[in-house]
Amino acid sequence: MNNCIVAFCCEHSAYPAADLAGKLKLHYPENLRIIRVPCAGRVDLIHILKAFEKGAAAVMVMGCEGGACHHMTGNTRTKERVKYCNLLLREIEADGRLVAMFNLSPNAPHKFVGAVNEITKRIKESGR
Amino acid sequence: METKIGVFICNCSGTLNNIDFDAVVKKVVELPGVTSIKFISPLCLEEGKKKMLSCIREENIEKVVVAACSPEFKEHVFREVLENAGLNGHLFSMANIKEQCSWVHEGDVTGKVVELIKMAVSRTRLLQPVKMNNFSVNREVLVVGGGFEAINAALQLSRAGLRTTLLEREAVLGTGTTELENLCGFDINAMVMEVKGDENIEILAPAEVIETSGKIGDFNVRIRKGGEEISRKYGALVIATGYQTKLALESKLKSDVNIVSQEKLCHMLEDPELRIRPRTIGFMLDFADENSRLPTLATLNNALAAKRKWGSEVYVFCKNVKVDSERIERLYQEARDCGVMFLKSDVSPKVAAENGKIKIEAKDIFLGEDINLTCDVLVAEECLLPAEETEALSSILNIRRDSRGFYQDENVHLYPVASEKKGIFFIGGCRGNLDLSRVLTDVSSVVVSIYKLLSSGNILAEVERVKVDPQKCVACLTCIRICPHNAIQLVRVDGGKEVAEICDLACEACGICAAMCPAKAITFQGYRDEEILAQVETIGES
Ligand SMILES: Cc1cc2nc3c(=O)[nH]c(=O)nc-3n(C[C@H](O)[C@H](O)[C@H](O)COP(=O)(O)OP(=O)(O)OC[C@H]3O[C@@H](n4cnc5c(N)ncnc54)[C@H](O)[C@@H]3O)c2cc1C
Ligand code: SF4
Ligand code: SF4
Repeated sequence: MNNCIVAFCCEHSAYPAADLAGKLKLHYPENLRIIRVPCAGRVDLIHILKAFEKGAAAVMVMGCEGGACHHMTGNTRTKERVKYCNLLLREIEADGRLVAMFNLSPNAPHKFVGAVNEITKRIKESGR
Repeated sequence: METKIGVFICNCSGTLNNIDFDAVVKKVVELPGVTSIKFISPLCLEEGKKKMLSCIREENIEKVVVAACSPEFKEHVFREVLENAGLNGHLFSMANIKEQCSWVHEGDVTGKVVELIKMAVSRTRLLQPVKMNNFSVNREVLVVGGGFEAINAALQLSRAGLRTTLLEREAVLGTGTTELENLCGFDINAMVMEVKGDENIEILAPAEVIETSGKIGDFNVRIRKGGEEISRKYGALVIATGYQTKLALESKLKSDVNIVSQEKLCHMLEDPELRIRPRTIGFMLDFADENSRLPTLATLNNALAAKRKWGSEVYVFCKNVKVDSERIERLYQEARDCGVMFLKSDVSPKVAAENGKIKIEAKDIFLGEDINLTCDVLVAEECLLPAEETEALSSILNIRRDSRGFYQDENVHLYPVASEKKGIFFIGGCRGNLDLSRVLTDVSSVVVSIYKLLSSGNILAEVERVKVDPQKCVACLTCIRICPHNAIQLVRVDGGKEVAEICDLACEACGICAAMCPAKAITFQGYRDEEILAQVETIGES
């Protein structure tokens, strides 16, 4: 997978934030691949693990701000799943920080870019 | 045979200038399933849409991928083109090559564009159609409660042409609203008369709800009225059961005649036979209950009235004066101008009864000094609580309450007045919203929401977009517990087995259940595991 970053983006928050980043002509690394989901809560373990199996450098799950999830509990449920995924990665001696949940609002393009930069930094630190 | 996918590419009138579209076309044409590829720009305007439509027809395209801007802005536009061409609107994906590619990267992005289109095509190959259906709904509405809020809502619903039933626990309507008459000049009696004379409104009082079942457009409600049980059907339910107040007082002070409630003070102010006017009055505010909007309004009104009518000295002991509702800031200013003293303290002042007077000890944080005040009358702080039986009614309706026991909005930011169960709404006091301007806004919001849902007698909705496979479901109840919109019920299918079933009208298509079901029994068209994984697997292939 050429060390891509796979980002599952909630259509109520992260996806429009990414669109705004585009409108503002902000920049982030080209290896980001966004997959639009109706709610962060739709993202399952299998989706994340398959991305790693295919060679993704990192996986981001991006949903609404805590307490402001469009579907109330979607972001918190997936946060737990992401935490579990951290453990799985550690178990196979990979860097657990390469899968992460980010919370942002739809009008936060800079936060979106910040998150992508953060994960890029983690990829570098982990030596990939 | 593989379905024919048509790919339409747009460069947004030339704003995507770091893409080599010829190279893109050459690569995309080789993708499995793609039978047609067209470059049309701008695709979203009339001429572009016309070209797209005729191309879909002429080349017998069955599914469509559009590589252009964000689906956030244009998905509905292109979906409409598909539908006009006789295709199902769900057989469609977009590759966001503008906001999420060309505009965020410098230099040539042709490679990434090809990959984004590839991801969209791989998803589209798996897409299945989703039918729409007109579900017929009952146009009658039940309003539970018989106070100011309920009467107001019933009148407006009736004016909007929806038959309404008003169900009140007590025998008479409009009790418990004297405060509103005093404070805001509403003529409750006239409103009650109007409700009684309205042919579109039926009044059940005294009566109570004992059981509800069903879903939006089709609720079954069992009602007890005068020892008799009746069953009714409604399209929507409105809860307007109000709130109650409790005095925040130590038990030994409760019987003291000089410690009164706001309501008692109101009566004293109105009493022409009152012999002795209190010379000094103290108020307590915002110590025991931080949700003090309504007590603040009452305190300011009553403090002003006492000042004007009796010329009393008035002291308001408070933690904060919360002036975040209409008119209150002005009232506060008026009170200050009239000489009402506001004493701010962090902790609740000490109160003691002594020789027929009330002694108050407080520490004012602005003066930094201890204050000892002896007053004739103390108006105790009032805490606002949910009405009696809120808990019982919430379990009858199967809807949530918040940490204070009031009914909980579906999503406080997005859907105030809606419960998590579609078709059940709250107004004002029972959801902890307690000043008049907010209550009136709630009434309007509820009436508009219900009008939108029920007025035509039909709701157009997707059929089985999210669906439980009864063969796979093991009735573990996970989905029923976690669905944030309360859209799933357990039903009995042929053969007596119980399985989960999703109500199409109530489902908001979030997909949380599909991710949680341990038996993988739930499919969400457009976001099935296959469709998501197909995109994941395509990444980096090229
Ligand atoms: C959209 C909106 C939302 C708001 N939401 C809230 C909210 O949630 N909660 C909230 O508290 N406010 C809210 N406010 C109101 C705003 O915070 C008020 O203006 C606030 O109460 C003023 O406090 P202050 O300390 O800024 O003002 P100040 O004027 O510095 O202090 C006011 C306080 O000091 C006391 N004080 C001042 N002088 C004296 C004196 N000489 N002797 C004795 N006491 C004195 C007064 O009794 C009063 O309690 C909101 C306002 C808006 C517009
Ligand atoms: S979570 Fe799955 S198995 Fe459990 S009740 Fe729901 S559909 Fe059936
Ligand atoms: S998709 Fe969401 S709203 Fe629909 S049934 Fe599943 S959990 Fe409930």
